[in-house]
Amino acid sequence: MSGARALQHAKRWPGWVLLVLVVAGLLAYGSTKDVGARTPEERVEEISKQLACPICDGETVYESRNTASISIRAEIRAQVTTTDAGDDEIIAYIVQQFGAQTQLLPRASGFESLVWVIPSVALVCAAVGLWFAFRRWRTAVDTVPDEQDRALVAAALAAGDGAGEAGDDT
Amino acid sequence: MLAEGLNGFLGHSALIVGLAASLFGAMAMIAAIRTRNPRLVRTVIPYGWLALVAAVVAVVAMERALITRDWSLAYVQKVGSYDTPALFNFTALWSALEGSILLWLLLLAMYTAIVMRRYRARLADPAVGWALAVMLLVTAFFFMLALGPTDAFREAAAPNFAMCCRGPNPLLQNHLLVMFHPPILYLGFVGFTVPFAFAIAALVTGRVGEGWLVETRRWALFAWGFLTLGIVLGGWWSYEVLGWGGVWAWDPVENASLLPWLTGTAYIHSVMVQERRGMLRVWNLSLLVATFSLTILGTFLTRSGVVNSVHAFSDGTIGPFLLGGFGVVLVVSLALIGWRGDRLRSPGAIDSPVSREGAFLANNVLLALFAFVILLGTVFPLIVEAKEDRQIAVGSPFFDAMTRPIGLVLLFLMAVAPALPWRKASGELLRDRLFWPAWCGAGTLALAVGVGATGWAPLLAFAFAGFAGGAAIRQLVLAARRQGYRGLLGRTNGGMVVHLGVIMIAVGLAASNSYTHAAEFTVQEGETVSFAGHTFTVVDVYDFSDERSVGIKADISIDGGQAYTPAISKYTAFGMDVATPSVKSSFVKDIYLTVENGTKPSTGTAKLKVFVKPMVMWIWIGGLLCGVGTVLAAFPGRNRRRPTDAVSAPVPLEEEIAGV
Repeated sequence: MSGARALQHAKRWPGWVLLVLVVAGLLAYGSTKDVGARTPEERVEEISKQLACPICDGETVYESRNTASISIRAEIRAQVTTTDAGDDEIIAYIVQQFGAQTQLLPRASGFESLVWVIPSVALVCAAVGLWFAFRRWRTAVDTVPDEQDRALVAAALAAGDGAGEAGDDT
Repeated sequence: MLAEGLNGFLGHSALIVGLAASLFGAMAMIAAIRTRNPRLVRTVIPYGWLALVAAVVAVVAMERALITRDWSLAYVQKVGSYDTPALFNFTALWSALEGSILLWLLLLAMYTAIVMRRYRARLADPAVGWALAVMLLVTAFFFMLALGPTDAFREAAAPNFAMCCRGPNPLLQNHLLVMFHPPILYLGFVGFTVPFAFAIAALVTGRVGEGWLVETRRWALFAWGFLTLGIVLGGWWSYEVLGWGGVWAWDPVENASLLPWLTGTAYIHSVMVQERRGMLRVWNLSLLVATFSLTILGTFLTRSGVVNSVHAFSDGTIGPFLLGGFGVVLVVSLALIGWRGDRLRSPGAIDSPVSREGAFLANNVLLALFAFVILLGTVFPLIVEAKEDRQIAVGSPFFDAMTRPIGLVLLFLMAVAPALPWRKASGELLRDRLFWPAWCGAGTLALAVGVGATGWAPLLAFAFAGFAGGAAIRQLVLAARRQGYRGLLGRTNGGMVVHLGVIMIAVGLAASNSYTHAAEFTVQEGETVSFAGHTFTVVDVYDFSDERSVGIKADISIDGGQAYTPAISKYTAFGMDVATPSVKSSFVKDIYLTVENGTKPSTGTAKLKVFVKPMVMWIWIGGLLCGVGTVLAAFPGRNRRRPTDAVSAPVPLEEEIAGV
């Protein structure tokens, strides 16, 4: 089998099967690989990115440099280094201590849950709408041009030949 | 030379003349179209030029007031100071709401004049006439804003220098990018007025076919290019000025700039489906209306004080006016689309979802969903406050969680779509065309895993980015083989260069957000610390001062080489600390240094924060590629298609329907 024919053959199925196996293996290896424990500084950073500075204009505790954020970061650092609390527990503790306006992630309950629910509903509606649109389009050809229509188009094209401006490429 | 006190008079006069000129121009144009009077059409031209001259005079008067420190004007008292360096005194024009509206007005009047000049021979055509009338009406609206709620030339009492005249916000007098980011972003925002105006004209005249699309495609492309560059420059500014080491924080102002970008991106893709297949007419009109309205809504959200943002730099009373303008645009546009509903029915049909048009549709749905999620997240705190009278914040954790999957699917579509033919694709064709791009993706993934990348989301992003990059390069190589250098020109091929830019931005964001390492050190002068494979030696810690600020700097030698100098400046007039990072950039990673509060020159102690951020430079190069690709896409390629060439779906012959 010549090289070109072997390549053509590989492009049918074997090459694709191999590709799927390689990608799945790499993803499985990469996403489960143990990267070691996070340093306290990295934990402080991640937690402070999840909290809003209570007195700023829309900045996170991580970004903000004002005194309120500095003291929240210090509190997070103390929690990280002196307790066994997990990230979520520390976030809950800070929200309790510094007020609900520090919470950047809306709750998944009550009225706030709408911010999660509405996009999901929109996605479903969009997918269903797209499916119906494709179905309708695939059966949409219900008119057939007659001779008169064709003559009209031919005349319009002929008339436009001289006057057409530069169009575009696609 | 004019006396200083005349700036206000000159500015007000110019704005009044501009308002009158744009209103008269619009009315004259509408009257000319209705009476079919070509002589009346010619009278519109001087009005358009007069509006431009008025906008130029207003901006020059304000710049003159800023440069000469004309304290008789409230705006100069707000953003002017004797200590501001000349460059930042010049850019102070757009450092607060009133001056920003003047800049917007100037660009809008320029766009209007360019449209008028470009179509001067066809002004009697009702479609062009209505488009110009719409542009003049929008210009009049902004003149009205500049005269009323955002009057930059309002007189003020004699200044009390203890309370006023401190100059622009310190964040806006700290980096050269403030010279470029706002004007370029505004060129994008304002640029979408042109395709919007032609869309309204198409609806009013009933000529809703593909002609207006062909007329406006370059306008939309350039507006999109400027908006992209403006957003990327905004990210750069944030990175270089705010000192927190990031480029994007899902702040309301950032979101407001991204919203029209998303709908504009959807439009420049879906417009090809209409040109080619005569479909999606209502959708394309809606996208343009959405893009234009979102520029107004975004300005309302961020400039009216309803949402707080570190980038807002405003607390104006402009809200009701912008909201009113947004409402009028929306109601008029929807009413026109409803009125022309019968003419907007698509004559075309889609043969298969697995086709170029199918991919564009999916991309449009995703981009629209992306925009919807961001809009919802941005306004949701207002909704909660209105309903439950309590304040909540919706921030980056929400936006990251919601937009990550959408972004990944969009990257996948960018990989597959360029290989799809129009109408219908066979499995064999796809297996052939996507084979090497898919292996590019696998190779990229292997490389990423090889250098230690972890986590399913960033790994998937790298794999899809490699796949999409392979698909774009394949398309460019094939086009260059056929047509030489011209293979890089034209919408499809220029678009592939833009894709490469977007892919680089996506890779840069995925890598820098996922694999940044940071640490804080308290180090004495002469001491060295090690972190992430680098050494940091504190060479010197010292005080500095200039006319505007006092502060602390530290010279830090990285790996025993060149010293980098992060600083904290306290702008004395504001009492505000601004951290200025110092960054060692390379193609692979940035080392980003800041000094923190607690640094003491007296004891030679530096409190140092180090971020090691991979691949940030890819974001800036990606932005540049997007700009280059936009320019390439605007040049016609070799296979130019005339507007009169058949673009709608081919209609089957009777015998095909009956017999097959």
